[in-house]
Amino acid sequence: MELMKSSDNIIQDRTQQQHKQEPEMQAQEGQQEQGHHFHVLAVDDSVIDRKLLEKLLKVSSYQVTCVDSGDKALEYLGLLNNLDSDSTASSSSSSSSSSNSSSCSQSSQREGLKVNLIMTDFCMPGMSGYDLLKRLKGSSWKDVPVVVMSSENVPSRISIRCLEGGAEEFMLKPLQLSDLEKIEAYLLKSLHLSCTNIDKDDDDNNADHNSDNNNDKVVNNDSNIDKGNNSTSMNNNFSKRKALSSEDTESRRPKIKGLAVAI
Amino acid sequence: MDGYGMQNQIACIRRSLFDQGYLDEQFIQLEELQDDANPNFVQEIVTLFYTDSTRLIQNIELTLNSRPINFSKLDDYMHQFKGSSSSIGAKKVTSECAVFRQYCAAGNAEACIRNFQHIKQEHAILRKKLEFYFQMMGQAAVAQTR
Repeated sequence: MELMKSSDNIIQDRTQQQHKQEPEMQAQEGQQEQGHHFHVLAVDDSVIDRKLLEKLLKVSSYQVTCVDSGDKALEYLGLLNNLDSDSTASSSSSSSSSSNSSSCSQSSQREGLKVNLIMTDFCMPGMSGYDLLKRLKGSSWKDVPVVVMSSENVPSRISIRCLEGGAEEFMLKPLQLSDLEKIEAYLLKSLHLSCTNIDKDDDDNNADHNSDNNNDKVVNNDSNIDKGNNSTSMNNNFSKRKALSSEDTESRRPKIKGLAVAI
Repeated sequence: MDGYGMQNQIACIRRSLFDQGYLDEQFIQLEELQDDANPNFVQEIVTLFYTDSTRLIQNIELTLNSRPINFSKLDDYMHQFKGSSSSIGAKKVTSECAVFRQYCAAGNAEACIRNFQHIKQEHAILRKKLEFYFQMMGQAAVAQTR
């Protein structure tokens, strides 16, 4: 068993350190190429999970902001006062210096705020991760990739619902460093689509990245299945717990953006 | 005991925590996240867990003692508790929580109450073991500086 080996061999720690540095270096290279740090907004009601996620992200050289609820996330992004998210222009036209659509202008209190990725827990009191996702996708922050996390095996209809609601991926907690490597792909995508107060890319890039994302998802799903089935046995925590059934894989491949599908 | 001897002893303690099923691979992930910038990360997050879970335990006790038992609320608390214990790699505690949630879903008050005693026991046992483990590591660190 993997664990027996690693606990037997203290030298293993060193190898693990090296592995840890790889995603960190890749992230740093990616960020240095672009000349800035990725900023991740993490939303989770669990103080333990916030601390863990913060550490995971910082070790990978990302800037992190943690909030403990969907409401706080919306507040941070300047969305809380927007009842009708599509008409942000009415309250924020003064802060927009670009001739582009109003969809990228923020309320004046969050001018210049850059968020490259939002990671949210699914199951939270009050506003759920799914509710937050829908609010985000209907707002000026809709182009920021969102990853939804859950601490338990949710039925596939729920994870599919999130994906169809616009989430990039649905991940099982607790997250590990290897999960952050997948996230990097979404972050790099977000650089091209970064929704700041300045400007926004055209839809052509969206299409390109959609097909890239589909490929990424296929790769991810395959590797997830290889890692072992998500067993309901409580004792089997050693295997990676992110495998999806083949049924899930096929359902996830077609990425339906902006289309509400009744399940 | 010299530095090397202590390291050996600590490695044994650590190994037994895994062998006896108290910890799982998630704990190793925590260790991997610890670095020079944050040399006490594992201890910090474990401490945070015990502070947070103590609060949850109290809430669960209150809910179990009320009549009629609010199973939905119970499940919410236990979901949080299980999530946190899973995040730090507390294997036995997490397992017991999963069992509890099954009883809770079935509305089986007696089984919930019984099972909750197991959870508290495992929770306390792990705490003692980890406290001892961290204490040994602290001593080893001091020994190394001599």
